[in-house]
Amino acid sequence: MANQGPTSQTILVVGGGIAGVTAAVEAAETGYDVILLERGPALGGRVAQLNRYFPKLCHPTCGLEINFQRIRKLKNLRVVTMASVADVKGDKGNYTVSVNVAARYVNANCTACGACAEATDMEVDSAFNYGLSKTKAAYLPHEHAFPMRYVVAPEAIGTPEADKIKAACKYDAVNLDDQGETFDVACGAIVWATGWEPYDPVKLESYNYNLSPDIITNVQMERLANHDGPTEGRIVRPSNGEPVRTVAMIQCAGSRDHNHLPYCSRICCLGSLKHAAYVREQYADVQVDIYYIDLRAHDKLEAFYQRVAADPQVNFIKSKPASVSVDGDGNPVLHGEDTITRELYERPYDLVVLATGMKPAASNGYAPPMSVERDEYGFLVPSLEGDGGIIPAGVAAGPLDVSMSVQSATAAALKAIQAVGQKS
Amino acid sequence: MTLAPPEQAARKYDLNFARWVRDNVNGGEKMSMCMQCGMCSGSCPIGTEMDHGPRKLFMMIRAGMKDEVFNSSTIWNCTSCYNCTVRCPRGIPVTYIIQDLAAKSVELGYVKKVQNARFAKAFWWSARTFGRTDERLMTAKYYWSGGLVDFVKRSLGNLTIALSMVRTKRMHIGAPHKIKDVKGLRAILAKAAEIDVRESKGGAS
Repeated sequence: MANQGPTSQTILVVGGGIAGVTAAVEAAETGYDVILLERGPALGGRVAQLNRYFPKLCHPTCGLEINFQRIRKLKNLRVVTMASVADVKGDKGNYTVSVNVAARYVNANCTACGACAEATDMEVDSAFNYGLSKTKAAYLPHEHAFPMRYVVAPEAIGTPEADKIKAACKYDAVNLDDQGETFDVACGAIVWATGWEPYDPVKLESYNYNLSPDIITNVQMERLANHDGPTEGRIVRPSNGEPVRTVAMIQCAGSRDHNHLPYCSRICCLGSLKHAAYVREQYADVQVDIYYIDLRAHDKLEAFYQRVAADPQVNFIKSKPASVSVDGDGNPVLHGEDTITRELYERPYDLVVLATGMKPAASNGYAPPMSVERDEYGFLVPSLEGDGGIIPAGVAAGPLDVSMSVQSATAAALKAIQAVGQKS
Repeated sequence: MTLAPPEQAARKYDLNFARWVRDNVNGGEKMSMCMQCGMCSGSCPIGTEMDHGPRKLFMMIRAGMKDEVFNSSTIWNCTSCYNCTVRCPRGIPVTYIIQDLAAKSVELGYVKKVQNARFAKAFWWSARTFGRTDERLMTAKYYWSGGLVDFVKRSLGNLTIALSMVRTKRMHIGAPHKIKDVKGLRAILAKAAEIDVRESKGGAS
C-alpha cells in the first residue's frame, strides 16, 4: 500500500449555489483542478433569487459577482451548467462520475442580445420567480446569470415558436437539435452541495395556499420585493396589484411540525423579519403581524430582531395559526388562538406570507447515487469514518443561512483537498 | 400514585397532577411534547363553546389546576372530530387525552357538578341498557340527576317539545324499544372493558 495515493486529484463539486460555488472557488484557488456541476442554466442557486441577504442586507448580486469574477480568473475550474450526476463508481481518490447534461438549445455563441426572446410570443412559468410571473420561451435565467447565456424552454421545441427563436439569432447560437450529452469525469473527491427546496405549501392543507393568490410563500416574497421580480420590486397584492395595508407572516409553515418538517429550518424567522422590513420600507401606514411559536433570531442577528421589534407597526403574535380561509371579498383570513391573550381570532389580511421551511434537495431525487449517511430528515451527514471522499456542503448537510453555508463550503473544500492530497 | 378525592384536596394547585396525567391518562405520556403553539385550540370547531381550549387545558394540567380541569366543559364538549390531533405539530393525541380525562373525572366523582357529564352518563345508561337511546327515559334520568327541583322545572319546561315528539313518533309512551340482542351488546361492551383494562393504564386510582 506504500505510496498508493489517489489516482485522480480532481475535485468534483455538485451544485452551483452559494455553497457549491464557494467550495469550487476555494478549492480551485489552491491549485487543484475543479469541475463544478449545476443542474440549472446558471449559477447562484437560491441565493440569486433573494432580494437582499444577511448579515448586511446587501443585494446578493454583489456577493455572487465577486465569486463569478474569481471563477473567470481560474483556468483550472470548469463550470458545466444543465448538468446532473447520473452515477458514481469507485471510491475515494478514484471516482468515476457519469454526468448527464440536459439540452439548453443555446451554445456558447450567445451574446445575450435578447433577439430570440423578442421573436417569440410563447411564455412559460418563471421558475426563477417561483411561478409569480411568466417568462418568454427563450430567456436569460436572470439578469446577472453566469454564464450570461440564454436558454430555450423545452416546451417550445418542436413548435413553430422554436423556428422563430432560431431565425432571430444572428450569431448561430440556437441549436434546436441539441440532445444534451453524457460524459464521465474522473475525480478523487466529491463535494455534494445540492442545497434545498422550499417546502411545498400545498401540503399545508389548512393554510389553503391554492385558494388565493394573496397567500404567498417567503421565497415568493423575496421575488416580489426584488427589482427584477414580477412587480419590479413593488410589494403589492398579487390578486389585484393594489398596495398592501395589512400583512401577516405565518412562521413555522411546515417546520417544527411532525406532519411536515420535524426540524427548525433556522432561516425563516430572520427571513420574515427581513420581509417585515421590506414592507415597512415601502409603506408608511402598513401593519405587519408576525405569527410565531418562538422567534429564533439566531446568532449575531439578534440585533436585527431588536430593530424590527422596535417598530410599532410590526406586531408579534404568539400563535401558530390553525387555518387560513378566504372571505367574501377575497381576503385571506387567519384563524387561531392568541396564546398570550388566550382569545380566538379571525382576522382578514391583504397579504399572507407562509414562512415555509427548507427541505433538503437530497431527499427529493438529488441524493448522491452512492451510500452516504443521511439523517432522519434527509440531510447528508459528514462522514468521519469510512471513505470520506464525498463531502456534504451547505444546506445539503443541514438548514443553514447564507453565511453559514459559505463557512460549511469552505470547510468542505479543505476536506476535499485533504481527500485528494492524501497518501493512503 | 393516587390523587386525593376532590373534597379532600388540600390546595388549589396539585403539583403532582401533570405527572399523574402522564402516568394515568391515555396519551398522557405525550403531553410533555406540547409547545403551547395554539394549533389545537385554533382548530377546534367548537372552541368558542368550551371553557378552555385544549392548549389552555394542557397548560392548566401543567400548573396543577386539577379541579378546574376536571370541572371544565372542555372534556365533555369535545366532539371527537380529531382536528387537533391531526394538526398537532408535536404528534400529541389531544382527542384521546381529553376523552380519557372525561372518563377519569367520572371515576373520581367530579361528574355531579358538570351538566354535560351528567348528560353523558344518562346517555350511556340508555345505550348500555337498551342498545339505543330512549329519549324519554334518558332525558328523565338526566333531569333527575340534577335533583328534584331541576327535574320538575326542566320536565315541565320541555313538555311541549316532548308532546310534539310523541305526536311525530320521535318519542313513545310504553315499554322502551330495545335492540334485538341486548345480551350480545353487553358481551361486546364487557369485552371492550376487559381490553381497556388490559391495554390502558388502568383506572384513576
